[in-house]
Amino acid sequence: MVRKYVLNGRSYETAQTVAAAVFLLPTIVTMIFLFVLPVIQVITMSFTNWNLATGVRNYIGLKNFEYLFTDKTFGKAIVNTFTYSAFKLSLDLVLSLFIAVLLDSYIPLKRMLRTIYFAPVVVPIVASSLIWIWFYDPGIGPFNQILTFFGLPKLQWLYHENTALLSIGLFSVWKGLGYNIVLFLAGLQNIPDSYMEAAYIDGANSKQAFFRVKLPLLSPIASFVIMMGIINSFKVFTEINVMTPGGGPLNSTMLLVVYVYQQAFTNGRMGRGSAAALILFAIVFILTVLQKNISRKTVHYE
Amino acid sequence: MKQKFIRILGIGIILTMMLGLCAACVPRETVTTTTSLPQTVVAPTTQGTTEKKEVLAPGEKVKISVWYAVSGASGEAFKELVEKFASENNQIEIELSYSGSYADTATKVSAALTSGTEPNVALMSAGPLFTGARENYFIEEKINEPDFDRDDFFESGWDYSKYKGKVCALPYGISTPILYYNRDILEKAGIDINNPPETWEDLYRLAKTAQEKGNINNVNEFWGFEVRDVPWLFKTMLNQNENPVVNVDSNFKVTPAFAEESAVEVATWWKKMIDEKVMPAAQHANAEKTFLAGNCAFIVSSSNRISRWVTEDGVKVGAFPMPYFKKKSVALGGNVLVMFNKNEKEDYASWELLKYLVDAKNQTEFALKTGYLPIRRSGLELDVAKKALSENPMYKIAFDQMEYSWSYWHFEQMGTMDMILTSTIEKIEKNVLSPKEALEEAANELAREIEADS
Amino acid sequence: MKRKLKRYNIPAFIFLAAGSALMLFPFVWMVLSAFKTPADVYAYPPKWIPSSFKFDNFNEVFNKIPFWRYYANSIFTSVCQTFLQIFISVTAAYALAKLKFPGSGKVFAFIQSSMFIPAVVTMIPLFVVVSSLKLVDTYAGIILPQISGAFTTILIYSFFVSVPNELLDAAKIDGCGYYSMLSRIMLPNATTAISTAMLFAFLSHWRSYTWPLIVTNKTELRTLPIGLKYLVQETSSEYQLMMAASLMAIIPILIVYIFTEKQFVRSLTLTGLKA
Repeated sequence: MVRKYVLNGRSYETAQTVAAAVFLLPTIVTMIFLFVLPVIQVITMSFTNWNLATGVRNYIGLKNFEYLFTDKTFGKAIVNTFTYSAFKLSLDLVLSLFIAVLLDSYIPLKRMLRTIYFAPVVVPIVASSLIWIWFYDPGIGPFNQILTFFGLPKLQWLYHENTALLSIGLFSVWKGLGYNIVLFLAGLQNIPDSYMEAAYIDGANSKQAFFRVKLPLLSPIASFVIMMGIINSFKVFTEINVMTPGGGPLNSTMLLVVYVYQQAFTNGRMGRGSAAALILFAIVFILTVLQKNISRKTVHYE
Repeated sequence: MKQKFIRILGIGIILTMMLGLCAACVPRETVTTTTSLPQTVVAPTTQGTTEKKEVLAPGEKVKISVWYAVSGASGEAFKELVEKFASENNQIEIELSYSGSYADTATKVSAALTSGTEPNVALMSAGPLFTGARENYFIEEKINEPDFDRDDFFESGWDYSKYKGKVCALPYGISTPILYYNRDILEKAGIDINNPPETWEDLYRLAKTAQEKGNINNVNEFWGFEVRDVPWLFKTMLNQNENPVVNVDSNFKVTPAFAEESAVEVATWWKKMIDEKVMPAAQHANAEKTFLAGNCAFIVSSSNRISRWVTEDGVKVGAFPMPYFKKKSVALGGNVLVMFNKNEKEDYASWELLKYLVDAKNQTEFALKTGYLPIRRSGLELDVAKKALSENPMYKIAFDQMEYSWSYWHFEQMGTMDMILTSTIEKIEKNVLSPKEALEEAANELAREIEADS
Repeated sequence: MKRKLKRYNIPAFIFLAAGSALMLFPFVWMVLSAFKTPADVYAYPPKWIPSSFKFDNFNEVFNKIPFWRYYANSIFTSVCQTFLQIFISVTAAYALAKLKFPGSGKVFAFIQSSMFIPAVVTMIPLFVVVSSLKLVDTYAGIILPQISGAFTTILIYSFFVSVPNELLDAAKIDGCGYYSMLSRIMLPNATTAISTAMLFAFLSHWRSYTWPLIVTNKTELRTLPIGLKYLVQETSSEYQLMMAASLMAIIPILIVYIFTEKQFVRSLTLTGLKA
């Protein structure tokens, strides 16, 4: 005899609920310590003027938020973050989809090529950033040497406000491309051959077959890639910390996370940093909810 | 499927085993003096031995932790001295760790202070904030004790270690900005290195000549002058032009002084260097690489490059005394020794270590190995110092500058001020704002930051 | 039925090969530069091939930093983090995918929402917690705060969902409890998904930088990314040493990756990743 109970009009098995609770316990405990409590603390800290260097910590109401909304650098950080995300996300999406489609066709050395495209993903970001700093060096870096070779004007790369964020973006695309390629490739290989054959039978050429059959079937993965892309591009920190510490020329690589870090740790202003962190959290949250709603309407599930 | 899973597991196990092997064969970095040295080793200071009996019982050991934010030759030299101290004081055990750059160390110390895990001693920059602002003036008391020769130290060194007028750190790896030149470039341009520039105007002319005639690499991007640390040089120049950087009233209220005319003059000279294309606009993060590649004639950088660049192959580096505006002055930079109080025994050990480190002989040795500067006048009289002077003329320039060294007022927002100044100079260099506008904006911004904290 | 003849798609291959050359370029540069002399590094115009191959650079790295120690720390912490993270992810994913209990939707949303928060945001509060537990400068202090795995939970969840309920029902009739169902039915059917999740988890821990930076003070506890960063600071502008160290840092992980790559891609294919 299985024991049951009823809650809100639905019936549940007691033993099953107990088992679920046991299985969820490790996750709940870690979530409480690593997510809930810290977030609550961030919220309380955002109403204080806690200064790490001097140890002062008093309640100051909404002053931190007032400061942020009038701070030019913070505004710039928001604009930069959106610019960076848009640039990286669109380039990443187009390139990775394109390369995945090519990799899905019948080509020699397929596995080797796939491995090469994924290789940058496994390298510690610190290590690859160090290589790229050298690439971007205006004097002794190979990028400018190549530009000169083709008779193009030299660029200042990381050292000019017009190119610094772009340089970071290019690096991020290189570093993260393989990840998305593999995701798309997985999606492509999941599409049964029969679907494409059916399309050909219906008289579609390969272009039409791609856009009418393959692409819609890839949309759940694209949606996943976009969501992770948004989340990750709002988190990007290591490469900026290594390549353009301090926010780059005229704060052109000052992204929100960098701003939070700089306020909280470089300046020791935990209160202000926490307030900025909350705003960052809110933006990411809103964006992902928006993205989910949009994709619910447009994504094509099999 | 299962096989694949097992393969991954297998790799995991192999990695774990590798780990065991590594852990077994890697030497520990910690300096411990669980020592085989006989008890008869004499402590370095005589007054130390008598005191020692009071605080530490015979055979009793105390362990202190030391963090340091200097790397390369400086890190090595510091480590060596601490290890030597530990081997001479077998009751004191020292755990020594490199804590990253100045910024990283400041972050780590702040974080540690929130939870009481801070070290006993830290060699770090901008140290006074972490003690003075927390009402810890232990050092001020100690240096006024009769057995400590406070007056032997350069006064600017004490100023550099003050918060609200009281000393709360010990000056240690002190440096000043130095004007370095590339000997090959000057030679090619026909500039007489025995005739150094006096004022910044002189330097402008020399840099211009060097740029026009001294392009040794035949490159398009060849410069006359560069600077590594922008706010440092700018503050130096402000004082040279009789601007105090910030004004402080009797209640220690700080107001920025760099919107004044004397500051605008400095910024205007700076702008000229950019407009005349003698100095590249806003590439200062890259300045040292440009200089070491032989693509720039002059650079202002820290005196601690003296030791580093002597060994650098390929570049022949020399130095001139700092040019000036109205009066000679160089702003001190570098690191200080900060001590965090824990308990009587540990504090005793920490102070013993600090005394040992700032001992004239030890500190001068450290200075000579690293290009930091002797902080005590008696250090300059030592034979080692005289020998170094005769061997490397760059030391003479650095040592001589100590006589007119100066430290600006340290206050809570000084880190923020440096960041504001950096971006202000950047805006001037990139023509975003005129020198006057940019400095006014900077002064307002700093005033606002000070206001926000009060 | 019209069956297409299998012929190599040569234009695609040429494009991909060119692209892969671009992807590989930084690695090539790194390998070459690891052998350069300081003079080569500052040579103008830049020299691609070192004038003589200087193997000493590698020795110098060992002299400057306890490289193997950093390596061992990285492997140890990443492996521990991975196992712990996968353990809590698997149990949670099983409960969410196959057990019926009140509020399961809310728990899922709660886990998902933790993905949105950048690590920098929670770092200081976490640090305060960790240090009040006296875990600063311990392996536990590095490992434990990094084991929450929303991403891996969702990844495994999306695979668990597709395990047919009939299998579970059959097991139930055979007298299987909820606990042994996980080990007897779910795990054997989801090895690929779990190993993929492991690889993802391992990679992110292997690369993690900010947290170990803040929580380690002792040299002997540092992980590889921190060690690399400190090497840069210690040697300031000695690019050749940075490259030698980076090269040594990535070769083993690249080898591991090359051996597991095929499996990794296939498991992603099977998981289907319906987010």
